[in-house]
Amino acid sequence: MARNRAYITSVGLTKIGDHWESSLLDLAVEAARKALKGAPKLKPQQIFVGNMFSSMAASQEHLGALVANALGLEGIPAFKVEAACSSGGSAFNVAYSLVKAGAIDSALVVGVEKMRDMEGDSVSKALCMAESAEWTQFVGATFAALNALLARYYMEQMNVTRDELSSIPVIDHANGVNAEHAQFRKAITPDVVARSAMIADPLRLFDCAPTGDGAAAVLLVNDKAASGPKRNLVEVLAGRVTTAVFSLYQRKDMLRFTATEEAFKQAMKDAGLSPAKLDFAEVHDAFSVTGALSLEAMGFSKRGMGSKDAAHGKYNLNSDLSINTFGGLKARGHPVGGTGVYEISEAFLQLTDQAGKNQVKDADYGVTQNVGGVDTTSAVHVFGRAA
Amino acid sequence: MAIQHWRIRDRYYRLIGSKCTECGAEFFPPVYKCKRCGSEKIEDSEMPRTGKIMTHTELHEPMPGFEDQAPFHLAVIELTNGARVLSQIVDSPGDTVKTGAKVRAVVRRVRVDGESGQILYGYKFIVD
Repeated sequence: MARNRAYITSVGLTKIGDHWESSLLDLAVEAARKALKGAPKLKPQQIFVGNMFSSMAASQEHLGALVANALGLEGIPAFKVEAACSSGGSAFNVAYSLVKAGAIDSALVVGVEKMRDMEGDSVSKALCMAESAEWTQFVGATFAALNALLARYYMEQMNVTRDELSSIPVIDHANGVNAEHAQFRKAITPDVVARSAMIADPLRLFDCAPTGDGAAAVLLVNDKAASGPKRNLVEVLAGRVTTAVFSLYQRKDMLRFTATEEAFKQAMKDAGLSPAKLDFAEVHDAFSVTGALSLEAMGFSKRGMGSKDAAHGKYNLNSDLSINTFGGLKARGHPVGGTGVYEISEAFLQLTDQAGKNQVKDADYGVTQNVGGVDTTSAVHVFGRAA
Repeated sequence: MAIQHWRIRDRYYRLIGSKCTECGAEFFPPVYKCKRCGSEKIEDSEMPRTGKIMTHTELHEPMPGFEDQAPFHLAVIELTNGARVLSQIVDSPGDTVKTGAKVRAVVRRVRVDGESGQILYGYKFIVD
């Protein structure tokens, strides 16, 4: 049997931010309709919705059927996929695996989160549901606190300075300036990070991705459904999801993101691609330290060098490897269940030359990494221009 | 939260974790399977109450239920048997909460459950 290939035909994005006038469903439908316009005659065979806490934020579950119905697609199978902040990437992975396996010809993947209707402390509680209720939430540790524990450990063990730690948020904001769907479109300096409000020492406000509402959608097809020229399509070359020891502090080496290490290694092997071929990486930098450790887990930087390399210009737009080309989680924004689908959509825009001022020159290959927990689940996908 | 608290209150009060009867490794929180040798021969075991801080933070933006305590210190603690605990550090001057500091477990009020009014107790650590 011929090997199945999987392609993205089109994407749909909403701007990330405050959507006071739109519901969770409004956002999901807006993004989905934009994606579906890319293949007007196609009726997707299944729908997957990536979302983390719609029950808390909007008193709504059963998102699969809800979205299918709103799109006039009732009748087809539709599911919500939840894996904390990697819900979007994980939803995409399920769809991709089914298309690749030949079980279905097409799928619509929507990632959505509505965070701004909640008070800040409720968002903290909702995010912390990605960690153990009995052992982490019980002692009052928020997600920012866990990442602060990690950040201090990283800085002390690897001699990373405050300004070096700020380097990835600085890149994010530089790239976010020209990204239409980004939540923040203003450049910052390390000094701005260092002077921002303390959240959990040593992490400050500008070390942390913001809360925001948003939805992204992609339409995924196989060769059969993608009849016609592949010129404007993007091929999904590989995709893996892996998990690590659940809680950060139980890991033998807290500074190794083993879920991302494994997912990336396996995905690159599946894709038959050397990491040197990658032109850009959309990295899950929910906090400055997680961005650094993610770059190290994928081998782009040596251990302890993620932030330092970023500070020395290794990851700027159109360096050898551009990262977070539309602002990453820090500037583009992080509507948690939607983030993975935003990253994948951004890879599509890069590889179809639709990235505008953020276009990575001659980009042929890119990778996205979407994490749930503190690298507890990692969804890594590799993309290339369709031949 | 309150129901979970009662179900495992001995663990919160007495730091009862797990011991692998095959290789002797000890864990806190408790495990179902040994993380070192893979054995499923696991029994409850009371942890030592002393250890040292591996890393720490002072949290300024707490979750609901912890507002009246903020800012407060949290730390990853390595106990003398190698098991690790995530805990608040209390009753200790801020400048003593640092990496490598020796700490010991105490029982303290963790919080008051907002719905039931139940007072929840559990482990916290102080710098020795």
